[in-house]
Amino acid sequence: MEHPKRRPWRRWVVLGLMIVGFVVGGVLIPVQPVISVKAENLQGEGVAWLHLPIVGELPLVNTLPTLVVTVLMIVVLAFFANRSMRRSQRTDLVPRGIGNLMEAFFELIYNLTEGSAGAKWAPVIFPWFATIMFYVLFANLLKLIPGFESIGVIHHIEHGGGHGIQALWGNWFNILPVEGGYMLVPFLRGISVDLNFTVALALISVVMIQVVGFRAQGIGYLSKFFNFTTMFKKPFFGAMDFLVGLLELISELSKILSFAFRLFGNMFAGIVLVAIVAGLLGKISILPSMLMMFELFIGLIQAFVFGMLTMVFMAQATQGHGHEEQQAEAHAEVHEI
Amino acid sequence: MEGNILDAARFIGAGLSMIGAAGAGVGIGLSVQGALTGMARNPDTYGNLLTNMILGIAFSEAIAIYCLVIAFLMLFKVV
Repeated sequence: MEHPKRRPWRRWVVLGLMIVGFVVGGVLIPVQPVISVKAENLQGEGVAWLHLPIVGELPLVNTLPTLVVTVLMIVVLAFFANRSMRRSQRTDLVPRGIGNLMEAFFELIYNLTEGSAGAKWAPVIFPWFATIMFYVLFANLLKLIPGFESIGVIHHIEHGGGHGIQALWGNWFNILPVEGGYMLVPFLRGISVDLNFTVALALISVVMIQVVGFRAQGIGYLSKFFNFTTMFKKPFFGAMDFLVGLLELISELSKILSFAFRLFGNMFAGIVLVAIVAGLLGKISILPSMLMMFELFIGLIQAFVFGMLTMVFMAQATQGHGHEEQQAEAHAEVHEI
Repeated sequence: MEGNILDAARFIGAGLSMIGAAGAGVGIGLSVQGALTGMARNPDTYGNLLTNMILGIAFSEAIAIYCLVIAFLMLFKVV
């Protein structure tokens, strides 16, 4: 039993990168960036990029390039996964490489959906769950790549704050930790740090929850919100049920808010934390990388939670409260057989 | 002593809005406690409990995140 000697070269790469980070962090000292909640405009404040007929002016914000990169990466991954699956279909039905990975991943998610929504509605709900989770996962993990939030164009700001700059070579400049009038607008900013992205996803998610509810229960889904069924049989508790239905309507609307702000808040808190720690510690640039590791975890969890909550709400919408009657019918059928 | 009273108000407001994080901390602690007790009594339910625990944590954490967003909105002069 002669094992070939393992050469753990990867740990030396990591150690080398840490040393490089320490040295570079000593030369180019990280500064606290000018943190903005909305996505920054690459062409300067108030400059419009496109003039659309109905929407109006569209600025070139720095989340647009990231959106393009994210979607391209997903398309490329889908292409290779598809090719791998096709190849395995032609040969021996054993998926290898990326096709295998994707199959394991989606099988896990499908089993989760089936356990929560039942075998009947799992094929309807699963695509929304998987798409949202995959998209948010890519959006969250992409912003951890070095170069995001750190390379960009330098703008002059008139009032307050800003840093000095230092010419490196050619058209390249470095931001210095002294007072000055300049700020960095990065080319790439993670899309989940833009409220527009999260609100759009939340709207899609909540609207599709209603659509799935209508598909499952027909027009009877509305009785969840406007509940007149028990109004005349039991006057007092019927009125109570009606009020509870109105509360359901409000909770449905607040789902949009909670979906959007949960993702945005987590991701925004992440970039602020990393930026502040990097700016505070300056030379010691190992701690921000630890925080980046934490960000990796948070990004994964948030992607999972976004998809999972969509799935759970959809599963709830398919059930409704005609639940007991359906069960009674099922029992009746069993007896007839 | 000189300074901008509006800046002072922003900082105080941001600090006050983060009080809400206390409730989220209690909520997360309670849900983890419940899940851990369940796991200790019945280790077979580990995977199922873990998923639901993370969901519950995400729900209570969202409250703290709302506070955090409000604090950031105040700190970085958005509104």
